Amino acid sequence: MVHWNLDVQSGRSPVLRYGFSVVCIAVALGVALIFQRYDFRDVEVPVFGIAIVLATWYAGTGPSVLAVLLASVCANYFFVEPIYSFAVSVRDLPFFSVFLVSAVIAASFVAVRRRIEDELRQARDYLQVEVEQRKQREQEVRSLNQQLAKRAAELEASNKELESFAYSVSHDLRAPLRHVVGYAELLQKHASSLLDDKSRRYMQTILEAAKRMGNLIDDLLGFSRIGRADTKKTEVSLDQLLKEVITDIGPETRGRDIAWKIGPLPACYADRSMLKLVLANLVANAVKFTRMRTPAEIEIGSVDGNPNELQVFVRDNGAGFDMQYSDKLFGVFQRLHLPEDFEGTGIGLATVQRIVHRHGGKVRAEGAVDQGATFYFSLPKTQAAAERTANTQ
Amino acid sequence: MTPILGRILIVEDDPRDVELSLTALEEYNLVNEVVVTRDGKEALDYLYCRGRFAGRVDENPAVMLLDLKLPKVGGLEVLQQIRSDERLKMIPVVVLTSSHEEKDMMRSYTLGVNAYVVKPVDFHEFVNAVKELGVFWAIINQPPPGSVRK
Repeated sequence: MVHWNLDVQSGRSPVLRYGFSVVCIAVALGVALIFQRYDFRDVEVPVFGIAIVLATWYAGTGPSVLAVLLASVCANYFFVEPIYSFAVSVRDLPFFSVFLVSAVIAASFVAVRRRIEDELRQARDYLQVEVEQRKQREQEVRSLNQQLAKRAAELEASNKELESFAYSVSHDLRAPLRHVVGYAELLQKHASSLLDDKSRRYMQTILEAAKRMGNLIDDLLGFSRIGRADTKKTEVSLDQLLKEVITDIGPETRGRDIAWKIGPLPACYADRSMLKLVLANLVANAVKFTRMRTPAEIEIGSVDGNPNELQVFVRDNGAGFDMQYSDKLFGVFQRLHLPEDFEGTGIGLATVQRIVHRHGGKVRAEGAVDQGATFYFSLPKTQAAAERTANTQ
Repeated sequence: MTPILGRILIVEDDPRDVELSLTALEEYNLVNEVVVTRDGKEALDYLYCRGRFAGRVDENPAVMLLDLKLPKVGGLEVLQQIRSDERLKMIPVVVLTSSHEEKDMMRSYTLGVNAYVVKPVDFHEFVNAVKELGVFWAIINQPPPGSVRK
């Protein structure tokens, strides 16, 4: 890289620049006169040339013009016959013209070169600023990244904590529960003949309550596992899945008059076992809440209309619910019915919602008391799934 | 000191689970052959005939029912220790735990456990499970050489 120790051009006063030009010519004149004194001939032209070039280079266009003029005058006065006069003979005119032209050409070349240098310098400065800014931005990105990594670590830690929480629920809550049930049964076995009816009923209640708590813990654990498990997405045929779900629920529908109405269902891209849980919960709910209907009507189908998502619904003509409480339907352990009317822990729809949310979908419900309910869930149609479906058709 | 004949070694910190297990084993008269240790350290003391078990007849149990969550030395550590000891590594070990966690199961099988049983919440199922384990490992199964024999 070039370093400019003497830089009178940029940002210096005109006096200094023109002064520099004059000094250059004066020095050149002095040198030329010394050469002339010792009888060297014709040195003045290149010496003045050098002076003009120097003035152009360091002082700019104006001073270079001045330098050319001064050099011409000096040459005329000191070196061209008749010496010490400004008289110019016709014979010397071509010399002066050529000198002037060559000086101007040299000066303009130098000016062009100088301008290019300046532009390069500006470009360099600009680049330097750019590099600085980029460094700064890189620094920012790096610090953001660090923050992100920190957040990720915090999240991981809280996830670990949740996991160990679920673990201790699984391990530590079960043991006392098993003992409640175990010793109550032992007591029942040993003291049954000594107890009156009331005491026996109390004993029975203790056992049932403990078993119910066991079911709640199991459900809660299952629910928490859904939140922690990785989703393994594949293409899933909802038709096939629904068939399996209805077969599985067969024992519960025995002896019941259920009119199934099943429409064509789309294929989707999802975690198969999780999606099966969604359908199983919705269908089981429909079966459960239509218990008092003969015939029970359960309709399962899909709504087509949105190009970005597929929507599946499960409709029944059962107990229904008050839309006023629809926001509570999907909460954990939220129930809208009395346990003596409809059994259950209140985890089913919460599980449905959690799974659907994990797939990027939505759930909603419509219903009215004693007029049945319809549960909808939507799943995004992913590009890949859509293409694959198109290929198989 | 009377020699302890332990065909079944139970490692369980919860006294109620111990009592329920013993109740279950009563039916097949296996109770007298059960040795109960309350933590991992005590279990290892028994197996190595140290501490309060110094001087017992040095034979391995025919089966070891091992809880995972134990004070001092955890069940998985005990299992690891047993499997890395030339003299103990053939002892059949059954993990009997409350933990449903897949992590625990994977770790246990990796360490070479012979069976992994989750303690059923239901009392009858629990009793049946312990009973069946006792019968299978202490009566039906042929234990490896060096074990206590009837």
